[in-house]
Amino acid sequence: MLTVSDVDKNFDNFRALNALNLNVRRGSIYGLIGTNGAGKTTIIKAITGVLKVDKGQITIEGEDVFDNSAIKERMGYIPDDLYFFAGYNLKEMARFYKALYPKWNSERYENMVKQFNLDEKRKLARFSKGMQKQAAFILIMTTMPDYLILDEPIDGLDPIIRKLVWKYVVEDVAEREMTVLVSSHNLKEMEGICDSIGILSKGNMVMERDLDELKSDIHKIQVAYKEKIENPYEGLNVLHKEERGTVDLLIVRNRRDVVEQIIQERKPLLFDMLPLTLEEIFIYELGGVDNEVQGILF
Amino acid sequence: MFQLDLKSRKSIYEQVVDNLKELIISGVIKEEDKLLSVRELSKILTVNPNTIQKAYSELERQGYVYSVVGLGTFVAQRQKIKIDDSMLSDLKYRMRESIKELFYLGLTYEDTKKLVEALIEERSEWEC
Repeated sequence: MLTVSDVDKNFDNFRALNALNLNVRRGSIYGLIGTNGAGKTTIIKAITGVLKVDKGQITIEGEDVFDNSAIKERMGYIPDDLYFFAGYNLKEMARFYKALYPKWNSERYENMVKQFNLDEKRKLARFSKGMQKQAAFILIMTTMPDYLILDEPIDGLDPIIRKLVWKYVVEDVAEREMTVLVSSHNLKEMEGICDSIGILSKGNMVMERDLDELKSDIHKIQVAYKEKIENPYEGLNVLHKEERGTVDLLIVRNRRDVVEQIIQERKPLLFDMLPLTLEEIFIYELGGVDNEVQGILF
Repeated sequence: MFQLDLKSRKSIYEQVVDNLKELIISGVIKEEDKLLSVRELSKILTVNPNTIQKAYSELERQGYVYSVVGLGTFVAQRQKIKIDDSMLSDLKYRMRESIKELFYLGLTYEDTKKLVEALIEERSEWEC
């Protein structure tokens, strides 16, 4: 269990995190999403103990994370901006990691190097950006972390490698109940892999929920009636409404059967209902009510 | 096994539930057969094990499968299956849409009725 409670972080006069709360269950894959500059990397750096927070608490299994080497031994972190020692190759880096992490698994290391097909003896600085990411992934997964923290892990990776990365992550979650926190802008892939989602905006947690719950009670509907009806959507929690000619387009937050019952009662000529994709939820939740982005989307 | 469609608006969880139901109802997985463990299926599909676990629990709730502690999850006998209200309303919605389309195609009331009856007849497993 990873818990962030009431955390503030300021950079000079800029408040990057504002009374932030975040909870990741053991064995869960938690997706952290948010606009650019929302504070995703800042909170990740605070969780991994790179940054010290101004207020609040960050704990893993009840213990403070900052300056806690016992916790850090069990934590794997792949930052967005990778760092390797100058002049080192993968093999030399592996030797360094092995000395640092007690659960280092040499057999897995050999297998992964083979599977990702990386040249151990080539200097890491000579690797492409995508290959460096793979190298970092191999090193971290070989430490057999109980907590895996990934900041934009799949950016710049080709689809085959992405699949392989997720395969390893899912396997460790299934086999050893590894806990994963991952940030990304690739919402399509997050939707496929995560079970919980936290949406960040301007240093605040906008919502934190189970992905399936999030998706099951927000719908996009299209309705048209024969004649204008007084208050046709009474009883529905309408988040957004738009008239396109005679067809109304709505985003409602209600259970599916509730929406259906209320709309059908008024005998519509046309009625379509679709669940929202995570991408749409993201834009709806973060776009604000009178944002022009919405006109493009819905 | 089965394929998941990441582009679908349906959640992975729903897709897993629906696919397994289809395999059970069509008889591909038979009564008393053991399902793959959550771990195995999660690895095969590269899907979050929590999602698979949830799908199995939902199938159990609807009576399609039962689980035995320490042994795994097994396909239940046909008569144990409960009719799920939300699924029923979902199907009703889809049937209503199809019937609407038949109407737009220009089929008469009688033709539509005959067509639906013929489709029902096709399911020979039903005892009249």
